[in-house]
Amino acid sequence: MNNYQCFVRLNKLPMFISTVHVKNTRGKPVTKEEIMSKKPLHILEKIKENLEKLNEKMEIMIELQKHGRKETPPFPDASLDVMTLLSLPDHLRKTAMTICRCGRATAEEIAQHTTRARAVESAYLNQLVIMGYLKKERKGRKAYFYADRDSQG
Amino acid sequence: MKTKVSKIIAVHSYKGGTGKTLLSVNLAVTFAKHGKKVCLFDLDFRAPSLFATVKVENAKCWLNDYLNGTCNINKVLIDLSSSIQSNGKFFVGLANPTTEAIRDISAKDRKWEMRALGRLLSLRNTLLKDQEFDYLILDTSPGLQYSSINAIVTADFVVVATTGDRSDVNGTRRMLRELYNLFEKKTGLVLNKVLDSTSKSKKNEMHDRVKAVYQVPLIGLVPCFCEILRAEGNFIFVQDKPDHPFTKILDEIAKKIEADEVN
Repeated sequence: MNNYQCFVRLNKLPMFISTVHVKNTRGKPVTKEEIMSKKPLHILEKIKENLEKLNEKMEIMIELQKHGRKETPPFPDASLDVMTLLSLPDHLRKTAMTICRCGRATAEEIAQHTTRARAVESAYLNQLVIMGYLKKERKGRKAYFYADRDSQG
Repeated sequence: MKTKVSKIIAVHSYKGGTGKTLLSVNLAVTFAKHGKKVCLFDLDFRAPSLFATVKVENAKCWLNDYLNGTCNINKVLIDLSSSIQSNGKFFVGLANPTTEAIRDISAKDRKWEMRALGRLLSLRNTLLKDQEFDYLILDTSPGLQYSSINAIVTADFVVVATTGDRSDVNGTRRMLRELYNLFEKKTGLVLNKVLDSTSKSKKNEMHDRVKAVYQVPLIGLVPCFCEILRAEGNFIFVQDKPDHPFTKILDEIAKKIEADEVN
């Protein structure tokens, strides 16, 4: 799959989600009547949440494609030490240094420090995850990134 | 918009013997004399020397132990405020000078260095924020050592000590371009062991030359003082010689950093 195909699929996502992924509290697929009458706000939030998850997966797939890798990263436990920081391209170094300073942060928090867009930071963070330098942990709707759990003194 | 005041200061150089430790100790004590709460850390793990300058041979815990994750930073800090005559506070964190400790730290891997960086970075919260230290000064090893680069990444401002020696000039220039710039660090240069800097015109000439060669501001010009050599590191100069020109130069450097006039 190339980048173009990824984006085409992404454009079709809302329909895909509303028919397959969004379920009500009883676990059954959401009907059109339910959307119109009962919990439209809740359902919209669910759609947004699923879209965000899919977007992140898409970003990872795009990054994997860029690097010509399809499975696990080559250095699953690579360390983000200062020599590695020096060897990174400028745009990734900025993100990596910010995560080192913050310890554990979301793409939104990193974006506040770097004054770049959240989506940009999200892509860079996911790229660093793929390269094996960062780890990613999901808590509810938020995705947290960190270099190493034991680093904080 | 006013930039934030530099709180963590790394003192670094390309070559050894440029006066990093002399500058670090005297800068830290100068800040303390200005009423600040300061901590000076010896990050020169391969050739620890601060323990000798402050005359503390046995520390309860060393900085090595903190970076190893085996002790709390408060156990590392030694309060030497009583040894300086001022309202300020002066603490030190020492590197373990035993051969065993030097060998141990030389054998550390990249993962350890990454964790050490995390622990250094967390000092911003534990010391600056929670314990209200005004300045942390990190004395480093010369050149591109892991511990030095960790200190540079941690710092808000890097004081680069250099001399007029050709090998030092070339190396320092490269380091400014390929290290500090990549980490987007604010940097100020201290030109040490200057032979002829008595007249104002000579000083201005030096400032212009440094600006042209290094493209960074010169924050201090330290002449070659025989009295410093004669002292043989037996006392802290700014403390014991308050009227000496060296003390006055350090006072000016400290004031520039305090006023955030370093750029």
